[in-house]
Amino acid sequence: MNKLGWRARFFVSQAALILALGCAGPPGAFADGFDPPPINGQSSAEHLPGKVIWVELVTPDLAAAERFYGGLFGWTFRDLHAGDTRYALAQRDGEAVAGLVERAVPATEKRQPAWLTFLAVGDVDDASRAVVAKGGKILLQPRTYASRGRQAVFADPQGAVFAVLASHSGDPPDYLAAPGAWVWSSLFARDADQDAGFYQTVFGYDVFDLDDESGSRHMILSSGDYARLSVNQLPADAARRHPHWLNFVRVVDAADSSAKAVALGGRVLVPARLDRHGGKLAVLADPTGAPFGVMEWTGADSNQELK
Amino acid sequence: MSGMTGRLALAGLGLVVVASLFACVGSVGYGGGGYGPGYVEPAGYDYGGWGGAYFVGPGRGGERRAAPSPSRGYRPAPASRSVPSIPNRSGGAGRRR
Repeated sequence: MNKLGWRARFFVSQAALILALGCAGPPGAFADGFDPPPINGQSSAEHLPGKVIWVELVTPDLAAAERFYGGLFGWTFRDLHAGDTRYALAQRDGEAVAGLVERAVPATEKRQPAWLTFLAVGDVDDASRAVVAKGGKILLQPRTYASRGRQAVFADPQGAVFAVLASHSGDPPDYLAAPGAWVWSSLFARDADQDAGFYQTVFGYDVFDLDDESGSRHMILSSGDYARLSVNQLPADAARRHPHWLNFVRVVDAADSSAKAVALGGRVLVPARLDRHGGKLAVLADPTGAPFGVMEWTGADSNQELK
Repeated sequence: MSGMTGRLALAGLGLVVVASLFACVGSVGYGGGGYGPGYVEPAGYDYGGWGGAYFVGPGRGGERRAAPSPSRGYRPAPASRSVPSIPNRSGGAGRRR
């Protein structure tokens, strides 16, 4: 009996040790060794805290997502698979524009595919402390990747999910986005005032209130003297509205892009409509339901792009 | 007595195993294993209800500023500053902002 007990204890302790060591893994790397790519093809010396510098889609069908976004925006893809991770780097004219990660949807999952917004920070750990101090939650602890940099994923105090990144290759310089590239981001909040305060504390934004005849709160948050995002009060007339980030791709014609998205299997969530800047924008969903926006913007390069 | 001690020791080790399993799940991230946070947005939330003046985009710069909310949770930019816009210089194809 004593001998059997000793053997059982030995077996269990060995199993526990193996589990503990196996789960800890080497610092700074996932067990499957996946190293996400840098966000810049060419390194930049720029560091632009508060700027949206990257976006990643979590999708259950990578091939279908590539067909949809490739057909809609002309993106091309470089597949990067390692271990259990299937990742695609989306590119536009040779420049990295987004990452796509494939993840099966568990049968009991009550969550949906979405684009994750990455904001530039100088120090991810400082940002992490500020997020927690102001009532946010850490969803993925800060982690360093050899090529990408150090990043972490948070939920703000109202539940909107975002990521921060201290990029090893620097931040993309402040140029006007070309058609097919991300041009704008909006945050929808239950209490826009409070959420603006949260992001101001974490990222040091300047906050500008805008006149809005709808009576909803609409603020522009800026850094480096450029507008980086809007904070909007969620419309109050529906219960199934959730605080979230929404990113917009620049397009030449929002209505045409909406029609193209539908032809590719997507849906129109908000039809093309005029916005403050005098151009149209629309909110669309890809075939798996991930929302994103398209936005027209006529700028310094418009004559060239419309040819 | 020694049988009781053995059972207690086994129970303790069992707890270690369970704790290790939980630690393992936690270490690979929110929402499951692999790279990234997985699925973090609740399914089926609504869009719409945007009235005609519900604007979400940037302005062209210099728009009229509204009076800050009296119950605000933020520090408004100085009143002397005008509302900025997005970058407008062209920087080659594919560039982000």
